[in-house]
Amino acid sequence: MSLFRILINQLEEEDEEMATSKKVITREGWEKKLNAVKLRKEDMNTLVMNFLVTEGYVEAAEKFQRESGTKPEIDLATITDRMAVKKAVQNGNVEDAIEKVNDLNPEILDTNPELFFHLQQQRLIELIRQGRTEEALEFAQEELAPRGEENQAFLAELEKTVALLVFEDASNCPVKELLDISHRLKTASEVNAAILTSQSHEKDPKLPSLLKMLVWAQNQLDEKAVYPHINDLSTGKLEDPAE
Amino acid sequence: MPTTTSSSSSAAASSSSSGNRQADVFSRLASSDPEVKLKALREVKNQIIGNRTKKLSFLKLGAVPAIASALSDADDSDKCNNILVQSAAALGSFACGFEAGVQAVLDAGVFPHLLRLLTNPDEKVVDAGARSLRMIFQSNLAPKYDFLQEKNMEFLFSLLNSENENVSGLGASIIAHACGTSVEQRLLCDAGVLEKLVILLDGSLSQREACLESLATVLKNNPDAVSHFVGLEGGRYLSSVTELTKDRYTRTRLLSCLCLVVIYNTSPSYFLNMGTKSSLITTLLELLNDPGQSGDDAALGLSSLIAEKEDLQKLADEANAIKNIVDILKTGSELQPKRLQGLFLSLAELCSKLEDCRCSFLSLQVLDLLINALRHSDANVRTAACICFKNAARSIKNLSAGHFTNDNVMLPLVQLLHDPASSVQVAVLGALSNIVLDFSAPKSTFIEYGGIKQLIELSKSMDPNARCSALRALRNLMFLADNKRKEIFFSDVKAQGFACLISDPEPPVQEQALALLRNLVDGCISSIEFVFDEDCLILNTVGRQLRKAPQAQMAIQGMYVLTNVASGNELHKEAVMQQLFPQGEAESENFMLKFLQSHESQLRSATVWTIINLISPSSPGALDRHVKLRNAAIISQLKNMVNDACLDVKIRIRTVLGQSMSFGDS
Repeated sequence: MSLFRILINQLEEEDEEMATSKKVITREGWEKKLNAVKLRKEDMNTLVMNFLVTEGYVEAAEKFQRESGTKPEIDLATITDRMAVKKAVQNGNVEDAIEKVNDLNPEILDTNPELFFHLQQQRLIELIRQGRTEEALEFAQEELAPRGEENQAFLAELEKTVALLVFEDASNCPVKELLDISHRLKTASEVNAAILTSQSHEKDPKLPSLLKMLVWAQNQLDEKAVYPHINDLSTGKLEDPAE
Repeated sequence: MPTTTSSSSSAAASSSSSGNRQADVFSRLASSDPEVKLKALREVKNQIIGNRTKKLSFLKLGAVPAIASALSDADDSDKCNNILVQSAAALGSFACGFEAGVQAVLDAGVFPHLLRLLTNPDEKVVDAGARSLRMIFQSNLAPKYDFLQEKNMEFLFSLLNSENENVSGLGASIIAHACGTSVEQRLLCDAGVLEKLVILLDGSLSQREACLESLATVLKNNPDAVSHFVGLEGGRYLSSVTELTKDRYTRTRLLSCLCLVVIYNTSPSYFLNMGTKSSLITTLLELLNDPGQSGDDAALGLSSLIAEKEDLQKLADEANAIKNIVDILKTGSELQPKRLQGLFLSLAELCSKLEDCRCSFLSLQVLDLLINALRHSDANVRTAACICFKNAARSIKNLSAGHFTNDNVMLPLVQLLHDPASSVQVAVLGALSNIVLDFSAPKSTFIEYGGIKQLIELSKSMDPNARCSALRALRNLMFLADNKRKEIFFSDVKAQGFACLISDPEPPVQEQALALLRNLVDGCISSIEFVFDEDCLILNTVGRQLRKAPQAQMAIQGMYVLTNVASGNELHKEAVMQQLFPQGEAESENFMLKFLQSHESQLRSATVWTIINLISPSSPGALDRHVKLRNAAIISQLKNMVNDACLDVKIRIRTVLGQSMSFGDS
């Protein structure tokens, strides 16, 4: 993406200028430099749209499209489908999620054994959470055991999951984090990423990695110069360096 | 015991309940109520996707024909669209990465029905049909697509031109699957397929992948196609493919690398830039670490890239390839046969020319790994391991250190001589050929394990490659061998057997047999006696072959046999004369004259050597033999050759002419 390169090039130039000594740059000087960087509004909009699409904010994306005229990278209708899958996993309706993914594109789970296993594992976890022990055992035996035979890593994960059944009170179980909601979210984001990939879309939005690069670049620059920082990423306010 | 009973009964109950469920699905699949049928189709589809075990059990119960009839019974009206989508998706899943499934789908005759879906007005139906067909075309079992038929070519282009990414991707997959011969490649190029494919390079992920695969098939070993491709828009697309080797998707990186490997192997001149070569190698080395199919394919890609190219082998060595590969082999996790094959072949290539590589390879304690691979259940892996042994054993230093001659190595190698696969036999013969050339060790382990007997057995194989390699191994085994070993060998093969080998229908086998004989009769006088066994059977056969105007390589070995025999006593020399001037045969130009005029300096040299030995002045019959040679115009031919282009020949001829002078010839 072009915006990316502009930022990096700019920072590199700054770097070169100040390589010799630790230079002090005043707020004015810094703002002047920042203003000299020409950013196209369209690029900023694309960045925002990319975030909304990737994260699945379909209504916001629609509204943003109307207001800014930015074209989304993919058909917004597919976002709705993808979000429905994600939501189903987040709510513990894994079977429903699997059916929805298969309707969307049957290749996703057929060619991605790890994701398929994780979804089935999540199904098992949900059965255990609901105390349906008999069913959980049958499911583990029928659906998951064959996957374990195919792959050593899956077998280890399966054993860990079945260990949940051994404990009366799951809060004592060493693998209790599997029952955590965060595990559902992890599985949900895995499915989300796989669907995005199948739609030739990047699985992560660009904005967060740009912000990470900003922090990294500031750290690099700290070695060579004193200048106003952006510390609060949510406001982007320039703060004067500590004396 | 109560526990056992209860557990077994519950298992029985569960399996019968799932059995009932499945039987129930079958009756619903055949239902006349479209709603019921649709639900059943979806149910089967959702059960089998991602689940190999389920695919197999549904397959055994005959689900594929049932779904196939649901597909063929549905018409193209809107209300049937869901049934079309679901049945196509289910069939596609059966065919996805599951060969038995592909076979069943093809057997059920669904092919024309799936093709029909591509023209359906509903995009979802088209998608489902194209996806399923793509799955089928990813398998080797898919039907051959005849590009020679005009209507097929038209259909292919209609696919490639489609706006629908699944459909154009299907077009590319068909090419990747079915384009095999250079005729097909030319036909596709002439029809403008490269121009269509490059458009897909900018398309979606699946289009791009299918495109890279089919580009590789169309360009493979076809310099014309490559130069056409590179010429498109000033080389833009070669840069695109090169750029894709840095893509974020592993599979895309791999496929673009494989495409570049094909281009490089076909027309290396497009890769003048060292940087491109080394980054290709680095990328392939990185891809080796991918645990999935991409890593498996990368290994074979790497071995094909560096095969027989010393400069690339050096680059790979500098990129630490050997250590990387050995580390992967040592991880202990179960590796796919394809990957093992590729890794061992890559190591073999690295060790084929560069002594440094052989040494660093052997310094990594790899012999156990190699020995295990010799016992692998997959023949390709065994073959690759043997080739690796062969090339590593080219290191005289390591060979002399006896690394290969201990029992741990020798026993599995000798056992492989009995391997059912002839590719393995040939490869192990190659390895043994090099190992038995060990100068210092007594090579007894090999003989103790019955190696010689087995080599003789293989020299009678139906496969000419196996015969050839067995004889090469024996030839090395007889190189400077002591009399005892020669006796062991000869008592087994016998004059009759040897004569058969020399008259083998295949010239390369004849050449190896003669080369073996040359080593056998080299050395002390008693060794020469072998050729006189059974009324000079072997010597007569050699003479007969030489008189038949053989190929140069064979004639060289034959003449060296005569040279060695002629180095013996008077009787031996006369026997050679018998072969050179057989009695009772029509006087025609002597074959030695032809040999002396050959372009092969080695053949000229071998012939001169024979003459030197025949007229060596210390032997009593030398004068008579000299007269015969002079009468046959051979001496005068030699005089014409005093300034032969080959130094060796020139020196030998001067020796002969010196001898000749002592007989009063000037």
